[in-house]
Amino acid sequence: MSANTSRREFLSAGLMLPVVGASSRMGLWPPFGEPVASDAGSAVKLDYRTLGRTGLKVTTLGFGCMITSDPSVIQRAADIGINYFDTARGYQHGNNERMVGAALGARRKHVVLSTKSGAQDKEGLLKDLDTSLHELNTDYVDIWYLHGKGSPADIRDDMIEAQQLAKKQGKIRFAGVSTHGGQPQLLPWLAQKGVFDVVLTSYNFSMDPAIEQAIATAAKAGMGVVAMKVMAGGFRSIKPDDPLYKKLQQDGALLAALKWVINKPNLATTIPSMTDMDQLDENLKAMAHPFSSGDEKLLAARLELIRPLYCRMCGQCDGACQKGLPVADVLRFLTYADGYGQFALGRERFLELTSEQAAVRCGDCAECTVNCPHGVHVSDRMARAQELFA
Amino acid sequence: MKVAGLLLIVLFAARTARAQEALNCHFVPGWEQSEPKRQYAADNLYDYKDGGAEGYLQFGFVRMTGVTCKSGEDTLAIDISEMNDADSAYGMFAANRDPSLPIAAIGMGGQVQPQSASFAKGRFFVELVVTAANPNSDRTAALQAFAAGIDGRLEGRATAPEALGWFLKEDLLSTRLVPESVLGLRLLKRGYVAKYKQGQAFIVIETSPESATEVLKKLREHFDGATPATVGDEAFQVKAPYLDGICIFRKGRTLAGYANLPDTRQAIVQAVQLAARIP
Repeated sequence: MSANTSRREFLSAGLMLPVVGASSRMGLWPPFGEPVASDAGSAVKLDYRTLGRTGLKVTTLGFGCMITSDPSVIQRAADIGINYFDTARGYQHGNNERMVGAALGARRKHVVLSTKSGAQDKEGLLKDLDTSLHELNTDYVDIWYLHGKGSPADIRDDMIEAQQLAKKQGKIRFAGVSTHGGQPQLLPWLAQKGVFDVVLTSYNFSMDPAIEQAIATAAKAGMGVVAMKVMAGGFRSIKPDDPLYKKLQQDGALLAALKWVINKPNLATTIPSMTDMDQLDENLKAMAHPFSSGDEKLLAARLELIRPLYCRMCGQCDGACQKGLPVADVLRFLTYADGYGQFALGRERFLELTSEQAAVRCGDCAECTVNCPHGVHVSDRMARAQELFA
Repeated sequence: MKVAGLLLIVLFAARTARAQEALNCHFVPGWEQSEPKRQYAADNLYDYKDGGAEGYLQFGFVRMTGVTCKSGEDTLAIDISEMNDADSAYGMFAANRDPSLPIAAIGMGGQVQPQSASFAKGRFFVELVVTAANPNSDRTAALQAFAAGIDGRLEGRATAPEALGWFLKEDLLSTRLVPESVLGLRLLKRGYVAKYKQGQAFIVIETSPESATEVLKKLREHFDGATPATVGDEAFQVKAPYLDGICIFRKGRTLAGYANLPDTRQAIVQAVQLAARIP
């Protein structure tokens, strides 16, 4: 395949260009830190970090395989030198693990492979692990995560026992936990517990700074930290054929968001989802260029765009409205309409408010008692919801 | 405008009501609803599906409604996801189905296993999961009855996407909808892929012959060493890293072809047969 476009992009980005064939990558792994060749003949500068106490050297750009459809993208990423690949038992009811296993093939021994199980007890977890090993066509996974835990209460002792047993049996090398929320409480608990080697956490530029402190605590305790959802929720629903996506690509905001996370010293690697070769080429640039002041400006502008509009559901406004409005709920209804184009759904939910709540007009209050710590312009947004739905 | 808006709201409410009606624990005697119905939209699906939510969003997820039923110690979770269109709903089913099992005649297609079932009907993708006290118990009969009950109450298309029928049947292993970047190429935005014992075929339907022509031109430029082939209205062949022997052709507004075959000659032979099946 020609990658003329990406080659031009790399040239313009000032990357190194030793000419080596892609086939030289197979079975002949260069020392960590050396630039390696892509199939385009151009070189990609790979950036490595140590994944906490595991000692694994991982590229700061990893690969989230969850929505990848074609194995060729995974194969090319591995040949270029990306060495961290993530999947889960639950993705597409196991079909994703099967695809990843087939795609990696002989490359598997050169990469760090992680998977997850959402089973709720020891027996279910161990059964899932055996299925994962079969589907991934491997004898072991490097990191095995308890999938999607939001608080210490979600992690029971028998789940930890399952991970410890799997380690003893040589089916996993390291134990981890993945989380989409509750990091400020969960990560210090994981760090203190001392039985988890890695945490996979959602983390991006739009999130509460308290998460950064929690990540630092985990890293200080020797845990390897892997970041997901690095492009921020605000970008999630934007597809490649959306004009806004093109704008984000053009102004570099997506790449800047990735670089922002990679720039954080407590993070070892990231696992953005990648569905095609272009996306892979774009994301590779994040390892070659440090986060710059230009990137910072781009994200600050993006944050300003998001901040007044999008509620982060932190719950700090609960009970703050003098008229008794459930502020976070109403803002969510508005997001259905404004953010996702689901006006009818937003209105339907709004009409489920009590008649007293539905009758409130924020414009009637001389002063709003709700101050969003994240900068959402609450009274403006509430007034818009009332205008739209009431 | 107001009338049109009201009509839309009424239509939406009617469709939602039908989906709600399908969420019923009483399709099989002995099952009772155990907790309030749940609802998720695109912005909070992560709360329920964790990272798996992205797989739904990729297929044009609109909303999910669900209910949990109990029978003795067994729990049944029924979730009905509404997608952008029927093709996307089928795409969700195809992406999540067990390719080693046959497709049953439920809605547009479905599968029932001892402790789980899934199917697509119209814009809806339905999932049923039993958590049984005895992990080896077989709840196939109950799941079949639930699936039939839900199928009967959901509106919409009950036939698989027509394009799937165009793929050659010999040595076919599985078919699916790829919601973006077919063959890992962004130019091929959304289409169907058939996996064979050797190689894979794809079908992408563009909006017009002109746009298909434009995409084919860009694809040909994308591959070094591409040369013309005689398939459909226009075509090219090339051997490329990761995709091996490739032949891509245009027929009207449809782009289709073969990849991952040992050489381009075989890709052309297969592509000619595929082109003959595309209307």
